[in-house]
This record gives sequence, structure tokens and C-alpha cells, in this order.
Amino acid sequence: MTVKFLSLAVKGLKQALRDRRSLFFLLLFPVVFMIIFAFAFGSPSSLGTGTTPHKIAVINLDRGATASINNTDLHINAGANFTALLENVTYEGTNTHMFTLTNASADQAQTLLKSRGLDAAITIPENFSQAVVSLSNASARTEATSDIGLQVINASSAQAAALSAQLPTNATLPRPSNVTAQVTVEGDTGSAAFGAAQGLIFNVLQQYESQIQATASRQVDATLGQNQSQLNGNYISAAVEPLTGARSFTYFDYQAPGLIVFALLLQVSSVAQDLARETDSGTLTRLKLSNMRSFDLLFGTLLTWIIIAVVQILLLFGVAVALGFQWSGGANSIELAVFIGIIGGIASISLGLLLAAFARNERQAAQLGVLIAVPVSFLTGAFFPLPSEPLGTAFGTTFQVYDLLPWTQVADAIRQVLVFGSSFSDVAIYVGFAIVLTAILFIVGVISYSRVRLRAE
Amino acid sequence: MTEQLSDHTTDAYALQVQGLTKRYGDLVAVDDLSLQIKKEEIFGFLGPNGAGKTTAINMMVGLLSPTGGAVLINGQDRARVPKRSVGVCPQELVLWEELTCVENLTLIGDMYDLPRVVTNERVRSLLADLALSEKAKARVSQLSGGMKRRLNVALAVVHDPDIVVLDEPSSGLDPQSRLLLWDFIRSLKGKGKTTILTTHAMEEADALSDRVAIIDHGKLLQLDTPQNLKRTIGSGDIIEIQLAEPERNETVIAGLKSVKGIQEIKDVGGKINVRALNAVSLLPEILERVDAMHARVSDIAIRENTLEDVFIYLTGRGLRE
Repeated sequence: MTVKFLSLAVKGLKQALRDRRSLFFLLLFPVVFMIIFAFAFGSPSSLGTGTTPHKIAVINLDRGATASINNTDLHINAGANFTALLENVTYEGTNTHMFTLTNASADQAQTLLKSRGLDAAITIPENFSQAVVSLSNASARTEATSDIGLQVINASSAQAAALSAQLPTNATLPRPSNVTAQVTVEGDTGSAAFGAAQGLIFNVLQQYESQIQATASRQVDATLGQNQSQLNGNYISAAVEPLTGARSFTYFDYQAPGLIVFALLLQVSSVAQDLARETDSGTLTRLKLSNMRSFDLLFGTLLTWIIIAVVQILLLFGVAVALGFQWSGGANSIELAVFIGIIGGIASISLGLLLAAFARNERQAAQLGVLIAVPVSFLTGAFFPLPSEPLGTAFGTTFQVYDLLPWTQVADAIRQVLVFGSSFSDVAIYVGFAIVLTAILFIVGVISYSRVRLRAE
Repeated sequence: MTEQLSDHTTDAYALQVQGLTKRYGDLVAVDDLSLQIKKEEIFGFLGPNGAGKTTAINMMVGLLSPTGGAVLINGQDRARVPKRSVGVCPQELVLWEELTCVENLTLIGDMYDLPRVVTNERVRSLLADLALSEKAKARVSQLSGGMKRRLNVALAVVHDPDIVVLDEPSSGLDPQSRLLLWDFIRSLKGKGKTTILTTHAMEEADALSDRVAIIDHGKLLQLDTPQNLKRTIGSGDIIEIQLAEPERNETVIAGLKSVKGIQEIKDVGGKINVRALNAVSLLPEILERVDAMHARVSDIAIRENTLEDVFIYLTGRGLRE
């Protein structure tokens, strides 16, 4: 005896393979998209930046320091001051902020950078305030010694002695320590958005340094007169840290995994059309008259389309790599991507079931499928990063409105796995949510289809 | 009319229907239908389009939930009978176009849990019986209409059911394919199958059916053998008169009604149909009266009474109306 769902799965595969038009729609249509996107977005300079705010995260690890101001010891946190500066700085001559700050931990920032939710992530080191104090003291000391030295050169010994006498009796020149701090700016070095953000961040940091120096000098000059000293020594530096696995990231690298999800979403239309055809042609009635159970039809259909999904993923992945997609990770990453893709495929099949339950005919099912699949592709960030639309926070992660779509989770997870070589544990949260959301959609799809189409009228 | 169900005997009947009713709002598609179909008989279910035949059949095989009534198959409630007891050939071609003939039949065999060896043998035999062996590996989309129709029938019987329901099986078939199909339907009786034949082709019902039920507006109008129906209801021959001005039909019919010996006279599709036992001997008088009414006859024919005439007598309308 043959297992009925297997017979139905084989039947479905034969039909899919022999229906050339549907096969083109399913397999070659996304490949055409892949080629177009590779051509349009395959180079690093393919995205302009303009004067829009850059999305950045600041990870402030600064522990603060004690600074002596007017002989009073004060605890300062220069990291917080610098963060505030970043938040408020605007483009010259406009009210447009240079940066939009996102609250994120180091891990969250990494994830957001990988999904292009951020242009850059700045890490302020623990000793940033100490380095700022050092910079300030060194500036003051240099200014003071410079002032005194200059006056000594220009005056008589008696005058110099008189000058020294003017100094407060308890005044001592600040002693700078050798503390230096390095601010790191992390991001995808191949991204034009990162390039622009990084340039602006360096500039703001430089201004911040200059401001500290100028403040320290002004305080000394207030007592000892005007001078313009030049500080030698680099107390605060900045460095770029490329995002792991994204050394030569192009926009196409972001889009290629999204196009795989787009192909999976096209299954919505194909599944709905396929099932609606069974209804329209009466073959579903023929099957209902037999010993076939709902499970056989649904599981057989699921199996057919899962196999097609796997073929889609592998085909598109191969085409993407051939077109220059920067793939990180070994065979394991492909296996993991296929596994995640299957979840996306099941979500599409589930939505297809739902549409097939209510579509009046095959044509309507196909049209509804496309009508839903294409906008959803954009909503899942398959082609372009999405603006922040927070829904709430759970498990330490801020969820966006579109995170409720299983394909969003699938797209993010596949992107992380294929572009950044992330392991299963790295993407477990995406996979977990994708499974839960897909399960809900599957249950709704199965119940609707079974009730509407598989019961006696 | 309601057929009285016999109390004794479930053994003799393959299918028993009691008070079967289907309502769609105010529309009664099947109205309190009761009948019994004997084992191994070919039972003709006759009625015009929209008479309620397919609705009744769909309820009998479980595709449609009845509003009321009961269906017994081999004496058991239909819901308890294994699905493989019944095979249905729908009116439309219900085939998987991208699959081959063998694949279509094998799939249905699988769906009825037949062992593959049995299915393979049944498929081979059916393709031979229905002259499709040469097209065994051809995709359905490449078959002619007649071949598709025959495959449609094969799919209904591949699992070897006791009761075979054939809904308009020869619709659109060429004469050669129709005769082949009729032979196949007759062969089912020889194999002990009960066949329910739904048709609006009188010739088909007449040629194949052991008994015929005439249904219209969801109601059973008459149930008997074709011979009895023709003898008791529509005895005699038919004179078909085509006037040059068909708009004068009603006037001529009124003028002919008084001719002695005419059992019935009606306008059927623009022709005047006169039914009489001694039609040939009445013909001169009929033509004389027509002439007296200054009506011109463009064509005239005498033929044997058919089931269609019986149907017209019962329903007042043609089968294809």
C-alpha cells in the first residue's frame, strides 16, 4: 500500500515540473530579479547618503573620572557628554540632526548593524573620561607653561618674579597622566552609509577634543594672559572596526538573502493557485470521494512545496554567489539557511492555504497571492532596510511592527547566516519567532482550508 | 410521486433513498425524493438541466449534506459505508491535465489504498477496455475530448466499487466513442456492479437502463422500465408537423384538438407534436384540417414514441430546455 500523502506530493511535484509557466514564475522570475539587483546594487558606492540623519548606536562603557575644576573635585562622565553632543549635533545651516541614536547593547548593535538597522555603532571605552581629564590637564599645563615662558622671555627678571607672585599661593600646574582612550566606530565598511556616518563621527569627536582643549586653555589664559599653545600628544583617538564578515559588503549582499525570501513569498501565489485549481477543476471533489484524509492532502501539499522551496533557495543562492554575493560560512551556513528557508516556505504555504480557502477561483487566488506577496516582500525588508516602527521590547530585543511577519524573521536570519556566517545560536531568536509565527499561520490556514474546502457542502 | 420503500430487504437493494431533500433558502433543489436501486441494475436518472439530478446524486455519495432524508447503501447508513463502495464519474471532465493516463489512474488507486500490484492490473485492464492503452503514457492535456471522457469514466471505477455513479458520461462524445462507452457500461452490469446513470439523453437512458426515474424540479415524477414508461404513459406514435409559419402553431393546435383519436397535442420546440395510437390513419384528416386553417406545412414526419415524449408528457417541457 502506498502512503497517500507521498502519492499526492509526487503528483504535486510532477504537476509543478510539467507546468512550464508556473515553473518559470517560481524559479526563474526571482533569478531575473537577482540578476537585476546584482547589476544595480553590486558595487559598494551604489547607495547615496544625503543629509539625512544616520542611525547610530552608542555603547558608552565609560566609568567616569574625577576632575579638579577650580580646586574642586568633580565626578564627570565625558562619555555621556559626548553622547549628548552626538545626539544634538545638526548639519550646518539646518535643523536636521546628524544622528538618530538607538539604545542598544553591544550585541544588539551588532545584530542591528548586520540587518542594516544601524549605519554605525560607537563604543566609548571605560577610560574615556580619564583620557578627557588627561587631555584637559595637559592642555592647561601646556597653556600655563607656555604663558609663563613667553612672559619670562618678554620681561625682566624682576617682572617675572612679580608675575610668579601673582599666582595663587596654592596653585599648582595640573599634572596630566598618560591615559589615552580609543573610540571605535564599527560598521560595514563597504556601505556608503557607514562611510558617511563614520566621517561625521570622527569630525564630531575632533570638535569635542578641540572644545576640551579650548576650555582648559581659556581657564589658564584668564589668569595668565592670552596665548595660543599647541598641545602635543594624542589622548583620544578614533578607529574604524569593520563589521565581522562584511569587509567588502555591497548592497547586493544585503538584498540577495532578501530575494530568496521574496522567492519563498511567491509560493503564496503558486500554492493558492494550485489548490484553487484542484477546487475549480473538480479534482478536489474526486479526492474527497476517496479514502484521502485532510491530513494527506495538506501534508502532501506541504511536502511538494517544501521540496520546491529547497530548490528555490539553492538555485538562488548559487546564482547570487555567481553574481558576486559575498558569502561567509561554509557548507553549514547553507544547510542552516535552507532550514530557515523551509520555515519561510511553510509560512508561504500556510498563507496560500488561507487564500485558497476563500478565493473564488484559480485566477483570483493567483492575483490575491501576488497582491499580498509583493508588498509583504518589502515589509519584510527583503529589498531595503525598514524604518524603525517599534512595537515593544521582549527578551531584551525591541520588536518592530513588521517583526510580526514570519518572513521578516526568516530574512534577517538567512542574511545573518549567509552574509555574516552566524551560527544557529546567533539566530536562534529569529528562528524561534519565525517558527512560532509560522505555526500560528499554519494552524489558521489548515483550519480555514479544511473547513471551507474539505467538508461536505 | 414517491416510491414506496419495501420494508423487507435491504439485501436486494444497493441504494435506498428516503425523503431526501435539499433546500437553498427558498429554492428546493431536491424535494422529498424516495427511491430504491436494485443491486446489479443500471438505473437511469432522467431529467432536464437543473432538475436536481446532480444535487440528488451528490447527496447520495456524500458530497453534499442533505437538508433532510436518509441514504442507505447496501442497507447501511451511507456515512458508515466504506468510501470505496461507490465510484463517481462527474459530469465535467475531472482530470489532472499534467499527469498521464496511468498516473491519473494510479493516483486514484493510491487514494483508495489499493495495493500497487492490484492498481497496476486494474489500470492496464481499464485502459484496454476503454481503448486508451495506446495513450497510457500520454498526458491528459494531449488527449482528445473523447479520450478524456473515457478516462473520466475509468477514474470512477479504478478502485472496483460496487456502485458506479455516471453523471452524463457520454456528454459531447462522438458516436463511435459513445457506443464504446455504452458497451463498457453494460459490461459493468456483467461484473455485478450497480450503475446509476444520470443523463438527459433519452436515447442513452433508453438503450442502457433497466429502470428509469424521471425527475423534474427536484421531484420524482415517474419510475419504471423504459418499455413500461413508453407503453403506459406515451403509447402510440408521434406525428411531428413543422409549419411554414410557426407563430400559427397555437391556432392550429386548437383546431386539431377535436380530431378523434389524438391522445395529446403540443408545441415542442416550434413543432407541433401529435401523439396517437393509429397515427398513420389519422394523418389525412389532420392535414385536411391544417389546410382548412390556411396553414402551410413545410415538413412532416411520423416516428416511434420515445422516452423524450414521455418526459414531455410528464413535465410539459423538453429535456434540454
